[in-house]
Amino acid sequence: MKRYNVAIVEPAALVAEGIASIIRDGEGDVVGIVGTTAELEALLRGAEVDVVIASASLHRDLEACVAIDDIPVVGILTSLMEDDVLRKFAATATIYTSGEELQRIVRRAVDLPAEHNYAESHELSERERDVLILVAKGFTNKEIASELNISPHTVISHRKNIVHKTGIRSVAGLTVYAVLNNLIDGEQL
Amino acid sequence: MNRRIATPLSPDMNIFELIDSEPSVLSIFSRLAIRLPFGDMSIGDMCLRDGYSTELFLILCSMHADMGYRPAVSDLRADMLPEVIGYLRASHHYYASHMLPHASAHLEDILAHADSRSRKVLRRFYDDYTRYIVDHFQKEEEHIFMVINSATQRCDADFSIIDTPHTDIDDRTNDIASLVTKSLPETVPTALRCAMLKDIYALRDDLRRHSNIEMHLLKPLVEIYLTTKE
Repeated sequence: MKRYNVAIVEPAALVAEGIASIIRDGEGDVVGIVGTTAELEALLRGAEVDVVIASASLHRDLEACVAIDDIPVVGILTSLMEDDVLRKFAATATIYTSGEELQRIVRRAVDLPAEHNYAESHELSERERDVLILVAKGFTNKEIASELNISPHTVISHRKNIVHKTGIRSVAGLTVYAVLNNLIDGEQL
Repeated sequence: MNRRIATPLSPDMNIFELIDSEPSVLSIFSRLAIRLPFGDMSIGDMCLRDGYSTELFLILCSMHADMGYRPAVSDLRADMLPEVIGYLRASHHYYASHMLPHASAHLEDILAHADSRSRKVLRRFYDDYTRYIVDHFQKEEEHIFMVINSATQRCDADFSIIDTPHTDIDDRTNDIASLVTKSLPETVPTALRCAMLKDIYALRDDLRRHSNIEMHLLKPLVEIYLTTKE
């Protein structure tokens, strides 16, 4: 069976090394291990990756990661997560999953059709709604980053996703969208 | 379904055949104040009758029929510039006095079925959009169209003022379509939404053609005109 390339994004080094070891023992080659989605973006720009294995705790940052639009993501759970978060992953495993089972899960994710990829939903995520509300209120990217405690680069990625999902490009249009969808009160503007 | 006309067009082509194949060229007739009826007249005969350059008329029709059509610079002459500016001015007038108010009337029909909050933000968005377009037309007329009025002194036309606004206008036009299609409350009847959307898409397509003519016909003509004045 054809081998596949894996990128791992996991802040806990010990967990990341464990996953990499399991993947190498199976049908995968690990092209990189990184700790943040910003590093993942850089990695994906220079490497051919068939599947990303990511800590599910990074789900908000993954929403902003444009580079994984076409790549399935397997989430590794370390705690309970809401269903709407779980649905974003092509598949999930936990830190208690056996090595063999993880290999099977990742293989299935690689073979899934593209519609199961992360960020395919046209619903705005919770984080994207937060960004949209601040855009509608006139905040700059820098101010939004500071308000939500994320990087300006992540804000820009969220904004790209918002434009892609709503089909609205202008700030004025996004403001109207936010009012019509009850995200902000028109009287505040 | 319309047959698309093949470019380049010929002066011998029958005018009815031209319009029948590409009805969008009708706007050229009204904006150049060309009179109907034509009988079985050819394009060349009609231009001769009404005193227009046949070459320029064919270029305008080709650009209407095919957004990818670019006139060869070797086919352009400085004396075509006043006619092109007259056409663009008439287009500005048509947008401001007909197409935008028409869409606005349909928007008001829609807003009558929306709640007061939606009514307020959408009306403001549309009013700002209209103002932005009309201001942009005014800037073009002041900074670009004026070149033909300064007969004695050298002056530069500032084309940098049109690149970004053209993109902005296109984005905002699409935004209106998206909001009317996807976000307006269910209380707004579909028929009213469709009437508004037809106006907006017609406006968008016409503005795209207009922008294309400004960038790929007006701009090279102004450069030729200014070179010949030096």
